[in-house]
Amino acid sequence: MMVILIMVLGMAVGKLGFPAKLKGLNEKVQLICTLLIIFSMGVMLGERENFPETLSSLGSLSILFFAVPTLLSMAVVYLLTKRLLPDRSGDHPEGEESGEKGKRNQQL
Amino acid sequence: MVILALAALAAGILIGAGDLGNGLTEWIASNTDWILGVLMFSVGISVGLQEGISAKLRQYHVRILIIPFGTIAASVLGGVICAAITGYPVNQSVSITSGLGWYSLSGAMLSELGGAELGSIAFLSNLLREIFSFFIIPFAALKLNDFACIASAGATSEDTTLPMMIKYTNGEAVVLSVLNGILCSAAVPVLISLFYQIPF
Repeated sequence: MMVILIMVLGMAVGKLGFPAKLKGLNEKVQLICTLLIIFSMGVMLGERENFPETLSSLGSLSILFFAVPTLLSMAVVYLLTKRLLPDRSGDHPEGEESGEKGKRNQQL
Repeated sequence: MVILALAALAAGILIGAGDLGNGLTEWIASNTDWILGVLMFSVGISVGLQEGISAKLRQYHVRILIIPFGTIAASVLGGVICAAITGYPVNQSVSITSGLGWYSLSGAMLSELGGAELGSIAFLSNLLREIFSFFIIPFAALKLNDFACIASAGATSEDTTLPMMIKYTNGEAVVLSVLNGILCSAAVPVLISLFYQIPF
């Protein structure tokens, strides 16, 4: 709940006049924080007692229990939204955003 | 971004497994709540900078619930399929997939309910869902649609995977992502308890 409140606070700051020239810096902060969180997940995973043994004995089962519901969720939501929600993937609030997303996707 | 994320994950696992951490890495690993707080504030700013989102969300009306409904229903169905493949009892299998990516809670709950093995599978599989969402989202945004990105993240779509939504989808999808995460997170403890108790 706390993270949602923090996000709402950030939304208020963004709405009430966050300097546009700091937008790039804000995106860099997000990138760094995301990488730090992924890194700490890795540390936590590596620090688990008997991690290699657990991974070898339960790893394949865990991959199955991760992959089936995840892929199925994507497929079901994709099909449901394709039928019931308008496709606004390219409909961005700011005109330049659409092109920006396209560029990012092309970079993949 | 995907390469950077993979490198960060690999570095973390190596440091954690090899006990190679120093003061800085220990500080990072033990202060993820603060890092997540900074991240959410920053994501909030990005959402706040975009205009006209609330008006567009109102147009969805009750259809806004399609994403969490689809995510939960498909995850439960995934549990049934996993039970058929692995031979695990359906109630245990569905309880594992009902974690929706919330690995800490599902791991702890199922360790208590079903023992260490079930708890470990719940922890690992839901952690994998969170981690792989970072890598799936860019491709889902490109090949499927923004809503499929939200579905892959499950309960984590309200916090840790949100920056990927910001980067690869639009402001409207980000708000839907937060809503999906809130509803999925609220459903996880209920679903795990409920399905584990049902004898099937």
